[in-house]
Amino acid sequence: MLLQERISGRVLPLRHLSRWQPHSSPSLSWRGRYLALIVQRGDRRLAVIEDRLTNRLVPLPLPGGLEPVKLSLAPDGQRLALQLVAAGRWQVELFDLGGVLEIDPPAGEVLRTPALAAP
Amino acid sequence: MTVTSDIAQVRLAQLGLSLMALGLLGACAFNPMRPLPAINQKLEQNGGNRDPSLSGRWLALIKGRDGRERIELVNLDQNRPISLPGLNRPDAQPLNVSVDAAGERMALIRQRDGRTELALYRRSRESLQPLPLEPPGVPRQVQLSADGRVLAVQVSRGGLWQVDLIELP
Repeated sequence: MLLQERISGRVLPLRHLSRWQPHSSPSLSWRGRYLALIVQRGDRRLAVIEDRLTNRLVPLPLPGGLEPVKLSLAPDGQRLALQLVAAGRWQVELFDLGGVLEIDPPAGEVLRTPALAAP
Repeated sequence: MTVTSDIAQVRLAQLGLSLMALGLLGACAFNPMRPLPAINQKLEQNGGNRDPSLSGRWLALIKGRDGRERIELVNLDQNRPISLPGLNRPDAQPLNVSVDAAGERMALIRQRDGRTELALYRRSRESLQPLPLEPPGVPRQVQLSADGRVLAVQVSRGGLWQVDLIELP
C-alpha cells in the first residue's frame, strides 16, 4: 500500500500496514485521516482502518466467518460499505462506524459544537 | 476475624473470576461495526450486488438481476434507488462505478461492443460523457474524489497496472 499526497507527491508513512500483505481495496476519508483497506491476516482477509492522526489500527472483523472482497469508506468516516460473499453470491452490506471513528470533515469546513450550532 | 477474612478473600476471587469472564466475553463479542439492517435488507432483495461506492448519502453499486447487471444509485436517507436516465444500456456491461458526495457525478467503466470504456455520468444533465485515456489503456477500476473533481483510474498498459489521475472541469 502506498499513500501519496496528490499535490506535493510526498509519500506518507503508514505505521501498521507493512505486515499483513497483500493489501487491496484502499479507500480514504475526506482529508486522508482514515485509510480503510483489506489486508491478509493468516489465511483470512480482514477489513481494517488506519487512523493516521492517532496511529491507531482498527480491525473490523465480520460475524459468521464472512470475508470482505471490496470496501468503500464514506468520506466522513462514519459508514463503511463492504462487498462480501454470502450464500454463494456477491452481497453489499453497510455498517455504521459512528461510535468508532470521529468525523473527518472536508477541508475548510468550520467545526462547531452542537450547542453553538443551534440558532 | 479469620472467618471474615476468608469470606472476603473468596468473594474477591469470585469477583475477579466474574470480571475475567466478562472481559473474555467482551473480547470475543466485540465488533466495532454496527450493521444498518433496514438498508442491508433492502439491498439484499432482488439479487446480488457488487462494487460499492459510498459517498455522503449516496451508495452506488452494480446490481445483478435476472442474469443482467446494472448500475444503481441508492439514496441512503430515503433507503431507495433513484432513477438514472441514460446510464444503463442493454448492450453494455458495467464493470466498476464510483460516486461523488453530492450524488451528481458518477464515474464508471463498462464493456460495450468488445471495448472497455471509461465514462462520466452527470445526473442533473442525464448525460454520459466518454473519457478517453491518454495514452490508451484498458481501465479496470475507478475512484472519484468526494468533491467530484479528480478521478483516479487503474489502467492496464503494456501488461502493467498504472494509476492515472484525471482532473475534471
